[in-house]
Amino acid sequence: MGETPLFRMEGISKRYGGVHALENASLTVHAGAVHAILGENGAGKSTLIKIMSGVVAPNEGRMFLEGEEVSFADPAAANRAGIVCIFQELSLIPDLSVADNIIVSNPPTRFGLIDHRAQRRMAEEALARAGGEDIHPMAMVRDLPLSRQQIVEIAKALARKPRLLILDEATSALTASDVTRVFEVIKRLRDEGLALLYISHRMHEIAELADECTVFRNGHNVESYQQGAKTDNEVVEMMIGREYSHVFPAKPTPPPADKPPVLELKNLSWTDRLRDISFGVRPGEVVGLGGLDGQGQRELLLAMFGVLRSVEGEIVVDGRKRTIGSPREAKSKDIGMALIPEDRKTEGLMLPMSVRDNLSFAALDRLTRFGVVDRSTESADIERMMKLLAVRSDGTAIPVAALSGGNQQKVVIAKWLMISPRIILLNDPTRGIDVGTKQELYQLLRRLADDGAAIILYSTDYDELIGCCDRVLVMYDGAIHAELVGDEITEHALVGSALNIDSAQSDTAFASRAQ
Amino acid sequence: MTIQSSRERHSFWHAIAARIDLPIVTAFACIIVLLLVGSLYSENFLSPEYLLQQLKVASFLGVIATGMMLIILLGHIDLSVPWLLTTGAMMASAATAYGTAGAILAIPFGVACGFVMGLISGIGVAYLRIPAMIVTLAMNAIAQGLMVAFTGGASPADSASPAMRYLATGELIFGIPNAVLVWAVVGGVAVFVLSRTGFGRSVYAIGNREGAAYLSGVPTQRILMFAFAISGALAALGGVLLAGYAGKAAQSMGDVYLLPAIASVVLGGTSILGGRGNYLGTVAGVILITLLQSILSVMQIAEFGRQIIYGVVIVAMLLLYGREKFTR
Repeated sequence: MGETPLFRMEGISKRYGGVHALENASLTVHAGAVHAILGENGAGKSTLIKIMSGVVAPNEGRMFLEGEEVSFADPAAANRAGIVCIFQELSLIPDLSVADNIIVSNPPTRFGLIDHRAQRRMAEEALARAGGEDIHPMAMVRDLPLSRQQIVEIAKALARKPRLLILDEATSALTASDVTRVFEVIKRLRDEGLALLYISHRMHEIAELADECTVFRNGHNVESYQQGAKTDNEVVEMMIGREYSHVFPAKPTPPPADKPPVLELKNLSWTDRLRDISFGVRPGEVVGLGGLDGQGQRELLLAMFGVLRSVEGEIVVDGRKRTIGSPREAKSKDIGMALIPEDRKTEGLMLPMSVRDNLSFAALDRLTRFGVVDRSTESADIERMMKLLAVRSDGTAIPVAALSGGNQQKVVIAKWLMISPRIILLNDPTRGIDVGTKQELYQLLRRLADDGAAIILYSTDYDELIGCCDRVLVMYDGAIHAELVGDEITEHALVGSALNIDSAQSDTAFASRAQ
Repeated sequence: MTIQSSRERHSFWHAIAARIDLPIVTAFACIIVLLLVGSLYSENFLSPEYLLQQLKVASFLGVIATGMMLIILLGHIDLSVPWLLTTGAMMASAATAYGTAGAILAIPFGVACGFVMGLISGIGVAYLRIPAMIVTLAMNAIAQGLMVAFTGGASPADSASPAMRYLATGELIFGIPNAVLVWAVVGGVAVFVLSRTGFGRSVYAIGNREGAAYLSGVPTQRILMFAFAISGALAALGGVLLAGYAGKAAQSMGDVYLLPAIASVVLGGTSILGGRGNYLGTVAGVILITLLQSILSVMQIAEFGRQIIYGVVIVAMLLLYGREKFTR
């Protein structure tokens, strides 16, 4: 393409604290084309979009719009320059009308009051362009089905007269038929000469829509290519190809297959988020949950722990069918289940309370006699846990908020080890903690498994699944899409099955890459 | 062994130091300032008789504020205090009219009425998830309606039982009013429950993060429900004591206790958002509020002036504590 690109950025870096979200990234976007961005979780895609749309400012680098250098102080500045972003979550206000939502900032005014007639006309125009002629501008947003809301979202973006429209996972909430309708709109906008930046985890969507693709990895653009120039396998390799230096403990020989599982799920379903999930976990096994973010892994853990209402299917513990109605039942002695939750600050800990109170909280009913806390037993147990996990803390009386992230996470885990659980569910336990603590946790997990615990580990980090797990269940759209055992757990197979690509094909490609 | 014990002593002092926080120190300092200011007006102010009298008046508020503190620690509020208090007073007085058995059961009956009404509020908050402000306000109105219906709109004819009078005005130990002993017992139990039992730990945990407490397998709903029942029972106990003090129950005897109960808890450093607070602070807050009221009346300031000063002092002290939180 010889003409000046619509938008170009080069040398863009963004650091959060010491973490490089983007490092020396560049991107070129042409008018009248759909440009897809691919990358793993945490590859820097969302930071890239935020910089383009003026939500955050880069630490380094330059951006050019039609050859002229620009910088955006805030999202409104980016909007004025013609860059509009549709973010992952719908940003509509459900209790306002469609027209109010579309023209929510800068409504047309007459004598200082909103000119409703002009507003409605503008909304109708935008809706028509977005393929939503059938949506009444005065309808309430909350009365519309999700796919129509997505159209309203696009209309809202179009009402700002964009020249570059960014769609961040715009289809993740939609069903297949809704996706088709949104795609028609996107294609028409492209033909009208808009530049579209399309971010999605769904490979087949990218294959259908994109003209050009750029792969991001570790905060840097790896390669740009014309859609169709690379095979899926080449793309996956570009997304994952990095060296890892984590130390994982050696995996022992897996327990014999005839050993009865301590926990077994049979056809577990919950609304449309979990579908027909069946698997078993034997004592001494570390089973991983893989797949892209938000494919039902969190819901699965919560369903097992008794948090979700009206879960269908059976949960069998020690060969007996159980109904687990609350975390309290889940942690009871004859089930002995523990859940290390996703967000330690809001779900795992009471931050202003002392390390001691936090540690003994889950085990309170074991530490109390007639409701009164047995302080000597409590102290002994806490001492043991602080040692076992090597929690670095200035005594146990200080607020847990004063500890570092890694030590806080240790407290969350220790708190649950206090009940000597037989089944341990972990929801992304190493997120946001340093590498050293990660290694300690990996070793702890293996030790707990060796001592006979059954462990289910959900992680967004593929290395962790490869390094820690005896088996990995890859989830896609609320169901178990693939099961990888032992040597089958490779990065390639994980990413391949997570993206719903034929895994046999990926395996051969990986073998040639690995050696 | 010596290392062990010195370490224990260290953690003991640590615990003491952790317990003394700015709001409590401020509240006690304010108490001393108030006493000094009061002594400028009247020399009686520092006399043991006056101080004991103040302590006795404070103990009614102290009992009520104990229940309120429990609810505020949970991050909720109990606005049903005025009429649950009156219910306790009226029901106990009414029971007295039914012969000897009635007189004996008067106190437990009055307290039980408060407990049951608090329990109903608790069900509304914990299981039906209605905001506590709405549920307890409604419960207050219901209690008021029931009591007005019961008395037929007039002042109730029944008077307090001898036991109620003894509890409020007698002296079991020479020189120390029984009301103060009642508060001491209630307070002692509160301190023990809050610091040493699983229930107490759970109350703090729920006030900090209900979600985290639930995921830790704590029966958060049951604890919420019982806390409201306890608060109701303590409000009713306060009413029983007040009826014993005055000789009989009266229609609007509870109205003047709502704001002081909340104020003394919050002035004592308990976070209005829940999860943080110490009973010692509530003791200080109760004494502070009682002295403030007393001094304003000794200074012969007109009622409207008293109300204004009273409100200003509360807001001013809360601002002071708010500052402290931000600087940390």
